[in-house]
Amino acid sequence: MWRKFLRRSYIIGILHNAVKFALSVFALSVLVFAISRLAPGDPLYAYYGERVEKMSAAQQEEAMERLGLREPISAQYARWLQGAVHGDFGISYQYKRDVKEVIAARIGNTLLLGGLGFLLIFALALLLGLFCAWREDRAADRLICKIGTVTSCIPEFWLSLLLILVFAVWLDWLPSSGAYSVGEEGNVADRAAHLILPLAVVVLGHLWYYAFQVRNRLLEEVRADYVLLARMKGLSGRQVLYRHCLRGALPSYLSMMSVALPHILGGTYVVEAVFSYPGIGTLAYESARYQDYNLLMVVSLLTGALVIFCNMLARTVSGRIDPRMRMRFTGGGGEVGGL
Amino acid sequence: MDVLTVKNLSVSFFRPEGEIEALKNVSFSLREGEILAVMGETGCGKSVLCKSILKLLPDIAQIKTGHIDIRGEEITGYSEKQMRKLRGHFFSMVFQNPMTALNPCMSVGEQIAEAVRLRQPCLTGRERRRRTAELMELVGLNPPGERAKQYPFQLSGGMAQRCVIAIALAAEPTVLFADEATTALDVTVQAQILELFLELRKRMGMSIVLVTHNPGVAARIADRVALMRDGALFRIGDVEEILEEIIHNRNLT
Repeated sequence: MWRKFLRRSYIIGILHNAVKFALSVFALSVLVFAISRLAPGDPLYAYYGERVEKMSAAQQEEAMERLGLREPISAQYARWLQGAVHGDFGISYQYKRDVKEVIAARIGNTLLLGGLGFLLIFALALLLGLFCAWREDRAADRLICKIGTVTSCIPEFWLSLLLILVFAVWLDWLPSSGAYSVGEEGNVADRAAHLILPLAVVVLGHLWYYAFQVRNRLLEEVRADYVLLARMKGLSGRQVLYRHCLRGALPSYLSMMSVALPHILGGTYVVEAVFSYPGIGTLAYESARYQDYNLLMVVSLLTGALVIFCNMLARTVSGRIDPRMRMRFTGGGGEVGGL
Repeated sequence: MDVLTVKNLSVSFFRPEGEIEALKNVSFSLREGEILAVMGETGCGKSVLCKSILKLLPDIAQIKTGHIDIRGEEITGYSEKQMRKLRGHFFSMVFQNPMTALNPCMSVGEQIAEAVRLRQPCLTGRERRRRTAELMELVGLNPPGERAKQYPFQLSGGMAQRCVIAIALAAEPTVLFADEATTALDVTVQAQILELFLELRKRMGMSIVLVTHNPGVAARIADRVALMRDGALFRIGDVEEILEEIIHNRNLT
């Protein structure tokens, strides 16, 4: 098997994708840079806060000069890029610390909440979708569809408050805020207890949307002609669903979930806010709101790079499941290498 | 002896717009080792007839009246579970459109092997592969080793049709329904497949219900011909007799 990874076509494939990835991230950085700087707002406010109002015009001018915001955008970008390739992303105006430090302190929390949430959503949506497709239009399916529609329509902040009220205030089973109790940073049980409520909100808020997509995609497959042939062979409805239909539905599910990954990871903002959970969702919002350019760049690039990477990954995996996608790029037939 | 008897079978599709009678009082019987050609214009119910015997019709279709017997045992009221045991064993079917009948995401070999496994669950992996290759050779998918790795979208219509036939034959059925099995093929291949049907009948004593538009095909291999029009089977008889009538009176079909 290891030989496969040394094959020339395989290595070329990886290089090809790496170049595409780098180009996409570069284009993204140009876009975010330009848009953030063209958007109205006063970056000095992020740096000096209320004090800006007491500063004279000359002082403000001088401050802008010092932050390098008076140069033309292209020059600013060139300087930023030069720093970025050397790993220097500048300082956050709000926190007055290296952007990397600001993000590093929080990204773990978001990855834990969003990542776990994503995995749960990914697995549960698939199972739920399969179950509903199998029991199409029977009582169980109808009930789940109704409950799902209702839960996915409940606003996250409201659901969060409701859960806090029930489980933290009335029952006092779970903590209502933070990522850990004071001084209990390394305590796994304590962290888990803090995760349950925000995680429940993240999962409940997204689950049905994806499960419903799986269900509908599967039902499309169930109506395909090949299902008759599969049933003619003597397979039961459930076996046809698992062995035949799932294969056809998986590629579109994977590409959907690959786009959803950053969405779920970054979309934890509301949840993070309500549960006072220290993550980067809050950072992303604040940095855009207060023109904290350097922070905004890194947060956007991280999210963007994740989206691009996930899309590439999804296409590779889809190609493995559905050969039509793989071969389309190489003109049919031959052995295909690469990612 | 009759392997299949259909008596007064009526099937309707219940749609929101109303009831559509797809089969009206159809009766016929199929003898062991017999090839019966079912002919009639498009939409007259030939495919529905095959599928209603196999109970592969959508939920909106219902058998209203009639009986279906196999070897004297009534299967009209069989549950899905009981029918599953007949499908792929007693009954098998070649579907009309080979390009959509195959699962696009599975290699051809895998799809044939699946049918083999369902028919003979006790085979070892190697025996199953050998049987799969044997079936592929039988229908002219050569060389089987390479063809097995291909996916339906890489095949021509004729090759796909052979796969569908191989899958149907994997069941080693007592009764084979061939719904326009040779329509997608050119005449030489068509002749080969018909030869194959004749040979299988001889070797395995298989009975075949052959749905076709082509009187030539019927003349070549059928023992009897049934004519359908508008959901009703209105004429059944020996092939020479019926074809003679068709020639003299075109409006029979």
